[in-house]
Amino acid sequence: MARVFLPFPEWDNNNIALNKPLQGVIMHTIHPFRIKSGYRVAVFIISLAALFVFFGTACPKAWSGHMMKVGLLEEPKTLNIWLASDAWSRKVLRLMYQTLYIRDPESLELIPWLAQNEPDYDAQANTYTVKLRDAKWSDGSEVTSEDIAFTGRLIKEFNIPRYASKWKFVEKIETPDKKTAVFYLEEPKAIFLSRTLTTPIVQKKEWEKIVEKARQTEKPLVTLLNHEVKFPVGSGPFVMKEWRKGAYLFLKTNEFFFGRNQDIAGRRLGPYIDGLIFKVFGTSDAAILALRKSTIDFFWWKIQPGYLEDLKKGKNIRLFSNEKSALYYMGFNCRKPPFNDVHLRRAVAMLIDKDFILKRVLQGQATQMISVIPPGNKFWHNPDVPLHDQGLTSQERIRKAYEILNNAGYSWESAPIGEDGKVVEGKGLRLPNGEQMEKFTILTPPADYDPHRAMSGLVIQEWLKAIGMPASSRPMSFGALLEKVKVSRDFDTFVLGYGSLSLDPDYVRSFYHSRYDKVRGFNKTGYQNPDFDKIADESANAMDPIKRQKLIWAMQKIILTDVPVVPLYNPKLIEAVRTERFQGWVEMLDGIGNLWSFCQLKPK
Amino acid sequence: MELRRYIIRRLYQVAVIFFVILTVLFLLFRLAPGDPVSRMVDPDMTPEEAELLISELGLDKPLWIQYVYFVKNFFTGNFGHSFNYGQPVVSIILDRLPNTIILFTTSVILAALVGVFFGKIASWEKGSKKDVWMTIVALASHTVFVPWLALILIWIFAYKLGWFPITGMISEEVWLDPDSGPLAKLLDIIYHMILPLTTLFLIHFGSYLLIMRTSMLETLNEDYILTARAKGLTEKVVRNHHAAPNAALPVVTTVGLNLAFSINGGALTETVFTWPGIGRELVFSVSNNDYPLAQACFLLIALVVLVANLVVDIIYAFLDPRIRY
Repeated sequence: MARVFLPFPEWDNNNIALNKPLQGVIMHTIHPFRIKSGYRVAVFIISLAALFVFFGTACPKAWSGHMMKVGLLEEPKTLNIWLASDAWSRKVLRLMYQTLYIRDPESLELIPWLAQNEPDYDAQANTYTVKLRDAKWSDGSEVTSEDIAFTGRLIKEFNIPRYASKWKFVEKIETPDKKTAVFYLEEPKAIFLSRTLTTPIVQKKEWEKIVEKARQTEKPLVTLLNHEVKFPVGSGPFVMKEWRKGAYLFLKTNEFFFGRNQDIAGRRLGPYIDGLIFKVFGTSDAAILALRKSTIDFFWWKIQPGYLEDLKKGKNIRLFSNEKSALYYMGFNCRKPPFNDVHLRRAVAMLIDKDFILKRVLQGQATQMISVIPPGNKFWHNPDVPLHDQGLTSQERIRKAYEILNNAGYSWESAPIGEDGKVVEGKGLRLPNGEQMEKFTILTPPADYDPHRAMSGLVIQEWLKAIGMPASSRPMSFGALLEKVKVSRDFDTFVLGYGSLSLDPDYVRSFYHSRYDKVRGFNKTGYQNPDFDKIADESANAMDPIKRQKLIWAMQKIILTDVPVVPLYNPKLIEAVRTERFQGWVEMLDGIGNLWSFCQLKPK
Repeated sequence: MELRRYIIRRLYQVAVIFFVILTVLFLLFRLAPGDPVSRMVDPDMTPEEAELLISELGLDKPLWIQYVYFVKNFFTGNFGHSFNYGQPVVSIILDRLPNTIILFTTSVILAALVGVFFGKIASWEKGSKKDVWMTIVALASHTVFVPWLALILIWIFAYKLGWFPITGMISEEVWLDPDSGPLAKLLDIIYHMILPLTTLFLIHFGSYLLIMRTSMLETLNEDYILTARAKGLTEKVVRNHHAAPNAALPVVTTVGLNLAFSINGGALTETVFTWPGIGRELVFSVSNNDYPLAQACFLLIALVVLVANLVVDIIYAFLDPRIRY
């Protein structure tokens, strides 16, 4: 009879035979004097784990109701609307605090939301009159014009970051009655409708005590921002019920939501679900597994290309692909040589193969950007701007870039076009003054932060080297990168992006106007062009949309001619949902995670 | 008397080292590249708004004034508010710390118990197949890449087999159910702990096993072991009552230090399992230049490690009367 190899010396002494291993194990398991303490511990732990497996898999779930489970990649940081700067907090708060106007999902036009109708504009008095629809706060009290006035005054008094710039030209707000708010502007402002009137409105009753307390402190703004809000009083479709930190947030539907059973933008609104549970996942891998396992119904973040094939095979999983209002680009430091020379910038723009970046780096999951406004923002996007590398082969791009630089007085140790006219590797580019071009860096975020930008920097480096430019891609931590670009302004070029651009194009003015070329200013590249400044200032005050459109288009043309930036791509937003429980997702620019979806989703 | 003098001397050293750490931490964060306000800034914030925020946060003051406030605030227990959360740093840490302690302390103790047990056996049967396999398993488990192991366990046991939850510390089904009692909630936490605990156990038990094995091998060469055998004691008694207690001393040190280090959590483990502990928070606060929170987390770790070192040194002196300094 063969002996079982048993790993424990004491068992060996009992001569357990091969044909009775189970008998031996049982004998030893139930005979405590033969089991050493360590084994007892091991048996205990394994038994406990088995119990829990049973507990976890066999016990019926206590869950019921039409609750949608949404996965987030990070936990929201705060429910204080004024402090919330991270995407996660804003996603949740957007479901509670509402604005006077909102974007129609199809036309992207601003339509009344808390407001009853379009604002009345009085050109002589320079006022806007907004009438409120009947609406209640989640505590059952009425939303009145006093709440709107209070919100505006609060923002102006405390200079609340991210909001103050949108209200600074509002001189005063009057409330002739409970349903009417009159805004007096210092001067006509095109962004008033799209930026000011899309500010979330807060309840005066909730915030006036907090404001009063903050006023009495040494640092009123910080006191206001640091105020902990546990249960925001909002007017939106959902209201906070419970936030168990580190685990989940539970929002239930707001019975007082003004849109319930209303037809707005041709859509009958709910919400029709009982609530939302936001679960946090530390990694995309875990979230995708949870989605595949039906632990969540929707993962509210972009799906990286690497997961797509797997998800496509999944049963009851649907993928949505939408454009974002985003721009990822290469920027130059126009404040100092050599990139203060427009010819050099145009040559660099010519050398960048955007098609390659799109197909190879982003695996086709992006739209090419030819202008600084995404094409999805149809009304404001100018399709007729100077194109640089479009449709050219790499050799053609090098020839064109060589031509630009040659005509501008650049020379080489070894030119990229040989005497026989063939394209060769260029070496030692010299500036028009005869000096050798010094090594310069292309700063990018690190690969673990954004692999696409990091890779884009690398490939651009190679294309520039091919013509003799001593480029060097340098990934660095995002905080350090921002500090170099926005604060110390000590850089040559960078690859950065705006992941969520406003649908109002006023940012084009902010990003390239010379007025904003300052420390922490919006004008990162230091671009200075008085002609651009003039048109940009005019666009800010142009109240006629068609006139404003012409100005915005002209601004884009100037930018793409002077090339302080090279627009690269706009990544597509791929999102995934499970289909067996809910239906009715509304697709629009910036994805399906929008208010319309949450107000229209229905249980199957 | 000698021991008392030693303890006083060590306390003084701990105080000095801690003060140096305090200063170095302050400088590290202030001088490192990155700007906390830039992370709170988005395209809608004007430079003027940013300057106001900087001023309100006290970051516009000269470095030495910021340092004075920093030290004063520390000794008055005022760690400030988190830039990102807007909440007192102390409350954030107190929220997260118990979660880390539960998970990591349990894993350290379990790993130590099992590692010591098998290290004892491996050394006793040095050179045997058992010893070889145990050593290989210990080395392999100790050097495996933590996130990979964690994801593999999740994939197999949570996703494929469905035995355990994918991530998190609790199930909303249990905690939102008004009929769930305290026992159900406790069991729910333990249930969620199994996979991260297994990951940490596998990572750590190997090192205890190897330390114990090495220490035992050295101890087995001692004269008193020979004496014990000569007295006719059984191998089991010699191993368990004479060799193992002395061989376990280095393990005691390691356990003590690891228990202290468990305060910082394992950022990787906590991130993959979405365990709401201090390790994850530490990583977020550092990458977002959340100075108050990051500083407080590091100071806590420093304090705990210094105290743990001190305690271990004192315990050592009690355990082994020969040790005096």
